[in-house]
Amino acid sequence: MAESAGPESEPEIARLLAACARQDRQAFQRLYERASPQLLACLLHILRSRAMAEDALQDVFVQVWGRAGQFESGRGSAWGWLIAIARYRAIDLQRREKCLTTEPYAEIDEIPGDDEPQEAIVGLGQRATAALTNCLGALQPRQRECILLAYQGGLSHSGVAAEIGEPLGSVKSWIRRGLAALKRCLES
Amino acid sequence: MKRDEPEMLDLLAAEYALGTLRGAARRSFAQRRERDPFVDRRVRAWEDRFASLIWRLVPVAPSPAIWTAIERRVGSAPRARWRALPAAIAAAAVLGLGWLLWQQLQPGAPQATAVVASEAGAALWRVALAADGDYIEVDTVGDVRFPDERSRELWALPANTAPVSLGLMPASGRVRLVLDDDQRAALALAANVAVSDEPKGGSPTGAPTGPVLYVAALART
Repeated sequence: MAESAGPESEPEIARLLAACARQDRQAFQRLYERASPQLLACLLHILRSRAMAEDALQDVFVQVWGRAGQFESGRGSAWGWLIAIARYRAIDLQRREKCLTTEPYAEIDEIPGDDEPQEAIVGLGQRATAALTNCLGALQPRQRECILLAYQGGLSHSGVAAEIGEPLGSVKSWIRRGLAALKRCLES
Repeated sequence: MKRDEPEMLDLLAAEYALGTLRGAARRSFAQRRERDPFVDRRVRAWEDRFASLIWRLVPVAPSPAIWTAIERRVGSAPRARWRALPAAIAAAAVLGLGWLLWQQLQPGAPQATAVVASEAGAALWRVALAADGDYIEVDTVGDVRFPDERSRELWALPANTAPVSLGLMPASGRVRLVLDDDQRAALALAANVAVSDEPKGGSPTGAPTGPVLYVAALART
């Protein structure tokens, strides 16, 4: 297994996806080696079972092989495309299996608020990451917490509400307002 | 329709990408995305915005068996070409079978290797994990000597858990050690392998009992 890739691998991942669209099996294997550790981490956070996450990882790569022709590099990032396939698959499975345990999401990293230093994240050298982190940091803490829980844990509104012990209505409104504020910030 | 105001649509796209849009609303939005390139662009934009959050997660290496299963599921021949040449399907099937047989005879490059060397740096054994993860081959490549009444046992050293025995090292020549699921899992999580000194036949306890003589890094290929 090759080393897992970081955000700087975007051009390589896009090239490999284009090669998969031409049915290049070597490129498919290379793509698996480069992308599977990060996608498995993402699936594990949502499904919280190694066996289910590895099954989902299989489904994801079977889909990637079948749908690589639909990826167009001009319309978005290759990593964004892969991660979306993985997250949607996990959300699907989670709903079907009702596998949610009651373990807390304590392992999810905190996004620093406005008053906290940002160097560590900016140091990754990734503008998109820094922009998202800064804009998340500018949200009200409850809005930020709900959006992060929903994304990394693959939680529904009610899942988030149960997790943080707040009413469903408040959670819905925090997420909606948080997303609107995030959009304004990212587009400014 | 009010729902179609771009602002509203963009927030629906955001909730879809975030995953909080659920049930019938999620399914109908997914269909709409398939049909409407404008909606698809909005969703893609949100997918990309959120994607950078995954760099906060620590990557996890999948078990070796997962790739084998994926290969099986996507089939071993390019489907598009088969569709394009319906008249040649029979011939292609024969070729495909030949290719499969050839593949079994040619296991391909190993997925990981390690060279176990003496303290002085002389190579003793070369350890290679087969491409499909089903077995390990150990080649004696140097001057290996140990007493007849002792054995040399190979261990996977997975991070944070106990060593897992992989089998006994040969005094000469080559051996193939077939792996079970536990051994495969341990190897997937291991950065190193080790060789210990054990009573003849290997450790009676399932854990190394004698001193660890050599440690070698597993180089993933």
